[in-house]
Amino acid sequence: MSGRGGYLLRKIGWALVTIAVVVIFNFVLFRVLPGDPAKSGLRDPRLNPAAVEALRERFGTDRPLFVDLEGGNLLDSQFTAYLGALSRADLGTSYAFRDQPVSDLIGQAVVNTLWLVLPSQALAILLGSALGLFAAWRRGRPLDVAALTFSLFMWSLPTFFLGIILLVAGANWFGLPTAGRITIAGDFASSWDVIWDVGRHLLLPTLTLTLVLLGEYMLIMRSSVLDVLGEDYILTARAKGLSTYRIIRDHALRNAMLPMVTLIALNLGFTVSGAIQVEAVYSWPGLGALTVDAVGDRDYPVLQGAFLLIALAVVVANLAAELIYGWLDPRVSEG
Amino acid sequence: MRRLDSALVPMATLVLILAACGTTQGTPDQSVDGGSPAEGAGTAAGGTVRIGVGGYPDSLNPGNGVLSEAYAIYELVYDTPVSVTSAGDYVPELASDWSVSEDGLSWTMTIVSGATFHDGEPLTAEDVAFSIELYRDTEDFPFLASYGAPFETIEATDETTVTLTTAEPLNTFESYMAFIYVLPQHIWEAEDDAVAFENADMVGSGPFMLAEASQGEFVQLDAYADHWATPPSVDGVIFQTYGNADARVTALTTGEVDAITEFPATAVSALQNAENVNVHIADIAAGGSLRDVFFNITTEEDCPPDGGVCSGHPALKDVAVRQALATAVDKQQIIDVATLGTGSPGLSLVPPGLGEFYASEIGDYAFDVDAANAILDEAGYEDSDGDGVRECLPDQDCETLTFRFHYADDIDTAPREAELLQGMWSEIGVTTEIQGLDPDTLTSICCPTFDYDIMLWGWGSDPDPAFLLGVALCTEIESGFSETGYCNPDYDALYDAQSVEQDPATRVEMIHEMQQILMDDLPYIIPYYQQSIQAWRTDTFTGWLDGDPTLGLEDPSSLTVIRPTE
Repeated sequence: MSGRGGYLLRKIGWALVTIAVVVIFNFVLFRVLPGDPAKSGLRDPRLNPAAVEALRERFGTDRPLFVDLEGGNLLDSQFTAYLGALSRADLGTSYAFRDQPVSDLIGQAVVNTLWLVLPSQALAILLGSALGLFAAWRRGRPLDVAALTFSLFMWSLPTFFLGIILLVAGANWFGLPTAGRITIAGDFASSWDVIWDVGRHLLLPTLTLTLVLLGEYMLIMRSSVLDVLGEDYILTARAKGLSTYRIIRDHALRNAMLPMVTLIALNLGFTVSGAIQVEAVYSWPGLGALTVDAVGDRDYPVLQGAFLLIALAVVVANLAAELIYGWLDPRVSEG
Repeated sequence: MRRLDSALVPMATLVLILAACGTTQGTPDQSVDGGSPAEGAGTAAGGTVRIGVGGYPDSLNPGNGVLSEAYAIYELVYDTPVSVTSAGDYVPELASDWSVSEDGLSWTMTIVSGATFHDGEPLTAEDVAFSIELYRDTEDFPFLASYGAPFETIEATDETTVTLTTAEPLNTFESYMAFIYVLPQHIWEAEDDAVAFENADMVGSGPFMLAEASQGEFVQLDAYADHWATPPSVDGVIFQTYGNADARVTALTTGEVDAITEFPATAVSALQNAENVNVHIADIAAGGSLRDVFFNITTEEDCPPDGGVCSGHPALKDVAVRQALATAVDKQQIIDVATLGTGSPGLSLVPPGLGEFYASEIGDYAFDVDAANAILDEAGYEDSDGDGVRECLPDQDCETLTFRFHYADDIDTAPREAELLQGMWSEIGVTTEIQGLDPDTLTSICCPTFDYDIMLWGWGSDPDPAFLLGVALCTEIESGFSETGYCNPDYDALYDAQSVEQDPATRVEMIHEMQQILMDDLPYIIPYYQQSIQAWRTDTFTGWLDGDPTLGLEDPSSLTVIRPTE
């Protein structure tokens, strides 16, 4: 198969295979860990064997993992139950929050995460590429050196550390809130007050995340623009007497965007998993925080659901990147 | 209540400290220990109290709760028949009185009249009986099922009377009733599967009622002005989750919250110097947690046939070695260095917060390196090759006094404590190989496998000492509740006797005697009892109970009496 249609089908096919592998891997991965979800966190003599048995039965962890060799039905296993539920888009009920469906828990967490991560990503992409472009343009000049130093510094700074510093400084000097998305039971006179309050809550976590992400975008943008500026066709453009501005806008930018598209797509894929460290510092109830807790609790259903969602997001983002590649650089899809 | 400690564990860790049942009765007992409302408390009312906490309730359904954050909410939203004071006494709450028949098998409780649920329905003996029965019959309620378990029949004989019968005499009736959160029958009877019931409206009869809850974020409670006994003076309380301890501390100093219930010991001095902030360090009432060092002393005869490895170091089975190890431990140094002074010296498995059950009179092994060395010399453990490590006795199946030493890596002070102990023991010619492990792995090598030498871990206590003293029973070796494989029939006999003893004073004596036996036989060394570290702002609300031991700021006994600062 060749041509555009074939390219598209091939890519989608691979995406589906990846997801299938993830579905199986998800099941196996968490069950390899030592520990029993029915007992996790419950080491107590009064948790009598009957209670543990009842919980195992409720969780389904009393059944064999893959095939039931002793019972009458070979297929009565945890794995088939998992696949069956998944095919009905049922992610099950959390083990740790025994009365909460996984889809509810994850749904709410993802919304919270996107609230935080999307603005940060957008800001980081805009500011980072602009900074990278200017730095490349002014290569070797003070602006370039300053921007490069700043970006490298931010990129290498531990997120957690930057978060704490900004939190303490922001709270003590500017009275900014240190946790949450909005003042709970706040006394709001108008919807402007609400927006103002939400903005104040968003400021520090967004700033932290933007600063952390920005460096990478800046560095990639700078180096790829520099690469392109060294090409023969740029020399030709220059020989034609075009201004530097026009050379960059019309000739360099589109080609320099290729590595950026990869980076943006990859990062957008991971936005769903959230910024675990930023969420932890600012007590942001997102997917990252939920996943970390679920690991500690041996909460298989939440972990399976969260990892499936994260994997889906990454696969879809990658697929999107491949498709945009084909559009940006037709050679990719023709080959 | 489970094997872990409370204040310093990370957010993700499940912690259950059924620290104390609330004293919604508002009895004078509360102020016995100096916990009287602070000066300046007037008649002001209103205001919403904001409390920064480390976690979020794992369920609004009391049967499902595991975390201490969940139990803090249950205490406020529900009433219980009996409650515990900071002095460790059981006092009436929904049950105005209770009595037991001659044979000790039949209990009668009188339920107050005039109590109402938050939806306006009256609370009657029917609701109490229904709740006990529900807990008993719902096996997969991880903890509360056991609080209904002893009762064979449960019956509301009229509007205000509940009668219960048990198969065996029950001397700790009150400790069971202290955890029966009374649920409205008219709501719960419609639920076929009590475990799957989310209980999102949380209708109870307690002094506070649920206004809003957001998963992982906050729980907002409003005052229940019509509470039959102790309507709060404040308008409401918000528990907001601050997963990060530094954020929690900062939020208190900037006034974002009015109180925080746990924070690292490293923040204590900063908060003590902060303006308008009061730091309160005290023993934990009616419970509390302790750090323990314990030894694998399982004998071959006692080794559990099903999966028991029992690879404990032979020398540790010699009580002289354990005595030497105990004598070489400088408990105060561990408290000062590892906990920065936020602990009190440990003694037995019964913490001081348990009141009269705490056997303060038994003597501990006073820290003395020379004495410890002398014990080992006398017992024949010599360092003949001069390498600094003593050798085993000829009849022991081991080379030197070199022990595996594991600690629980989710306790953030444990690595430091293990190193300190290693240093102390090296002074008496004992070498330890330290390894931190996560609790699940620790459990898998601990018990009933018994594949270790020495462990450093922790326990949270129940208001009744019988719970923790159960870890040293011969009969618990196979179940894995015993962590040491310790077995002393005299101890077991005393345990059985105290569990049916009807005279409280005699029972206290027996409990003390058991602690003395454990001190002599030394399956455990208790380096320290953890204290509760809490802090509140003095410029927003006043009247927080600041006695010692303390029930905690989030306890109804504090939250129903505080008022706005004038």
